[in-house]
Amino acid sequence: MDLSIGPEAERLRDEFRTFFATKLPADLAAKVRNGEHVTKAEHQHWQRILNDRGWLGTSWKKEWGGTGWGPLERFIYDEEYSAAWAPRANVPSIDLLGPVLIEFGTEAQKKRYLPRILTSDDWWCQGFSEPQAGSDLAALQMRAVRDGDHYVVNGVKLWTSWAQYANHIFALVRTSTEGPKQAGISFLLIDMQQPGVTVSPILTLGGMHAVNEVRIEDVRVPVDNLVGNEGDAWTISRFLLGHERLVGAWIGPNLALMGQLREKLKRPGHDGRPIGADPALRARAAEVESDLMTLRYTAYRVLADELSGREPGPIVSVLKVRGSEIQQALTDLLMQVGGLEALVHPFTLPDGRPAVSPERAHMAQQFLDRRKLTIYGGSAEIQRNIIARQIVGV
Amino acid sequence: MDFTYSEPQTQLKDSVERFLASRYDLRRRKALMDDAAGADALWREMAELGWIGAAFAEADGGYAESALDAFVVMEAFGRRLMALPYLTSIILCGDLLRHAPAAGELIAAMIEGRLHVALAACGNAPLHSPRYGAMAATRDGGGYVLNGRMSVVLGADRAQKLLIAARTAGADGDRDGVTLFLADADKTGRRGFRMIDGQGAAEVEIDNLSLGAEAVVGAPDGAVPLIEAAIDRATVMACGEAVGAMAHLIPATAAHIRTREQYGAPLAKFQVLQHRMADAFIAAETARSMALVAAIGLDGDRDPAAISSAKFQVGRASRQVAYQAVQLHGGIGVSEELDISHHHIRLTMIDRLFGDQAFHLRRYADLTQLGAPA
Repeated sequence: MDLSIGPEAERLRDEFRTFFATKLPADLAAKVRNGEHVTKAEHQHWQRILNDRGWLGTSWKKEWGGTGWGPLERFIYDEEYSAAWAPRANVPSIDLLGPVLIEFGTEAQKKRYLPRILTSDDWWCQGFSEPQAGSDLAALQMRAVRDGDHYVVNGVKLWTSWAQYANHIFALVRTSTEGPKQAGISFLLIDMQQPGVTVSPILTLGGMHAVNEVRIEDVRVPVDNLVGNEGDAWTISRFLLGHERLVGAWIGPNLALMGQLREKLKRPGHDGRPIGADPALRARAAEVESDLMTLRYTAYRVLADELSGREPGPIVSVLKVRGSEIQQALTDLLMQVGGLEALVHPFTLPDGRPAVSPERAHMAQQFLDRRKLTIYGGSAEIQRNIIARQIVGV
Repeated sequence: MDFTYSEPQTQLKDSVERFLASRYDLRRRKALMDDAAGADALWREMAELGWIGAAFAEADGGYAESALDAFVVMEAFGRRLMALPYLTSIILCGDLLRHAPAAGELIAAMIEGRLHVALAACGNAPLHSPRYGAMAATRDGGGYVLNGRMSVVLGADRAQKLLIAARTAGADGDRDGVTLFLADADKTGRRGFRMIDGQGAAEVEIDNLSLGAEAVVGAPDGAVPLIEAAIDRATVMACGEAVGAMAHLIPATAAHIRTREQYGAPLAKFQVLQHRMADAFIAAETARSMALVAAIGLDGDRDPAAISSAKFQVGRASRQVAYQAVQLHGGIGVSEELDISHHHIRLTMIDRLFGDQAFHLRRYADLTQLGAPA
């Protein structure tokens, strides 16, 4: 057994750290740290800085402008990225669609779409969930009916993250109602800037607009926009989810939140003593940090398996369940240590001189936002089903 | 980065598990509790197989490649509910004997299976915080006179020697001023009994026991850091034992609910039970990661914060796993006939031993300067 990551990886870690320290705009990092909203323009600005350095397509092959990194490099990059409070880039475009196109796309699709992701001219959203298909994706109903060189698409996607920023959507659509439900699903690229595509906001608890309903009515999509063959979507989705197996542990973001919590526990509370002098609060914070270290080493075990070519398998569900729960606990604690100022509604604050500290004003909203973590991408209950059936064998 | 056991470690694990599977079951475990000669015979066999030497580095006369060797042995003991005092005698006291003037002879005797030692320290606490609860010692010429009583000393019932923490300077709670003495157990007043998990213990009473300077282990007045280091190491090994026990309980419970039928269906068909098993697995599997990291750390600069984190995780997980194992087994789970209930008791003991969850969370916070001390 050996915990070290080797000198080359350590050197790379230093390089990442230096880059973020010098290139990430301080006001942007502060916004992310405070849990404030980051605009599309700010995301694009930061993504272009990353792309200039060649570090945007971190899960892309080199020939398509990516880094060509393996799992270790990506893991270290993610830890340093989060520690620096860099905004999450457009995940559906960069970490989901990019690798899918590189693996399954036609030459024409790759040439047409990949460069525009890296330049941040295109912003993709992921059209998976539907009103009747949440965790049970195979139940989806959006229809794509072949008509000559086109598909005619009709249906509704729900909970689509950042669709209000997107000009394209990659959607799971039903091309067949024959056979097993999974076999009739295809992976289709749809231009959103055309009649028949309607994006409506869904406000989530705390008043945030991050998710949307995307209604598609009689939209004609060229057959060339099909990724893989008809019915391949299930295979593609499995590949795509495999790409984010370690991401679901949220190790980097959780370490950053824990660092923030540690700092805030040192500050004076209502009685003038350090907030973290309260024995119950201190014990709770210690418990969460211990949980986080423990999950981090569990992720290392998965990573070590990947590096030695072993398929990690369903243990990834453990990472997802615990990573999500830990992040919910951390954002809860950050709200708690923020006192009354952490309970304001940030969108209602007066302009001008801040009425409450920006470091605390978004903590309730941030906590509420993280409720989604145990719901999306396969709910915590689905993950437990997987663990019970595939690992424990019951 | 690598989290797999080396080839020799895997062989050691297999050999301990194979031997115990054929030679040590619940019935024999119970029989040996009242059969000192039988226990000694088994112990010497284990010594010949090299399991005791696996707890000592080559520099100390053993043949451990790393601290993980003993961890591997403890994991196998945990699976098979081994009740002989490997943890308290070999791991805990063996570590302390390295500081004795006659370390070489003593450790050789241990490795050959001829010597058991018990540690009388930490007063009424389950072997943590050696600053407190030491017996009394006064200087007498070149030697010392010891007095005191400790109601529960783990492993003292059958130990030939006792390591006794006694205060030679300062007041209860001071880090300096505790001295460690090695004494013949027969020179103390002992009344043996068993703990709830079956392991042996004794009340130890010391009445004007005279010891020479050669009985001092380590530096006079300087025992606290030595005992803390030994406890830290033993804590990691206790984690190994619990990890092994959990790795047995989860599949055993899964097998039970797959076969046990009620209301016309196997219990495993009920999602509520599937999720209990999933949660038990999550707890056990993540705790194992932390325990392995703590064990790897023993070979380098000891990281007490990682050890406290591991003990907390393992304690919490093993209580959860054991509770659910008994619960899902139902009536047979609470009977003494099946190993499940014995694992439940042993894991409860391990959770308390060397500091419970609350103790280790507080220690973790102290060591990492989290928040501020109350």
